[in-house]
Amino acid sequence: MLFYSFFKSLVGKDVVVELKNDLSICGTLHSVDQYLNIKLTDISVTDPEKYPHMLSVKNCFIRGSVVRCVQLPADEVDTQLLQDAARKEALQQKQ
Amino acid sequence: MSFLKSFPPPGPAEGLLRQQPDTEAVLNGKGLGTGTLYIAESRLSWLDGSGLGFSLEYPTISLHALSRDRSDCLGEHLYVMVNAKFEEESKESVADEEEEDSDDDVEPITEFRFVPSDKSALEAMFTAMCECQALHPDPEDEDSDDYDGEEYDVEAHDGMEVDTTPTVAGQFEDADVDH
Repeated sequence: MLFYSFFKSLVGKDVVVELKNDLSICGTLHSVDQYLNIKLTDISVTDPEKYPHMLSVKNCFIRGSVVRCVQLPADEVDTQLLQDAARKEALQQKQ
Repeated sequence: MSFLKSFPPPGPAEGLLRQQPDTEAVLNGKGLGTGTLYIAESRLSWLDGSGLGFSLEYPTISLHALSRDRSDCLGEHLYVMVNAKFEEESKESVADEEEEDSDDDVEPITEFRFVPSDKSALEAMFTAMCECQALHPDPEDEDSDDYDGEEYDVEAHDGMEVDTTPTVAGQFEDADVDH
């Protein structure tokens, strides 16, 4: 649940979601759920030539399992806090 | 279209959330005709007037979105990106198909667009799809809570103090977490 809470804290921020099929989508994080399905608003595709049909899309819902990574604004993330929290959760999962 | 099949329309047993008639389906830019889109909890289906159609499994749907550009030749529509290949009538010769096999290394992507005649239904269609997607999380989750079932872990931690503060610098550095 850690990353679910983590992403919830970033709602309203601009992120870039990179999918496993190499598509990258830039947008504002609207919401996220426990499976890390992501809803973005005001999106723009970083490679519109490859996906011209997405040019007119403003909002989208991305399946969590197809996300390779999410680029976040560096000044919005306390990496030290995140690392500590991740370690704690990893330990708790082993109990 | 070789991939179009005849099947009964989904009903309550399949968890039908929304049925949208008079909806055109477009596959990778090619129109398939007008039919009915069925947004059910089990799968997303579309059937044309003759009872032929196709179904999409939610785990294969990478993303779905609303396209609001009215200047688009299709008008406002529901965009669905699928991580699968759909056989169309091949215009290419067999030799060309051998070349396409090398594309198997790249994840296949198929773009569907569903264009309802009733544009006011788009928001509800999008929302219904969001709800259904949430019902089909990936079963193979690396961070699953399966650890609860492993007895040996419970035994090992009996009486062991779990101190989250590393007493040895870099104590946790070795843990390799594969994402």
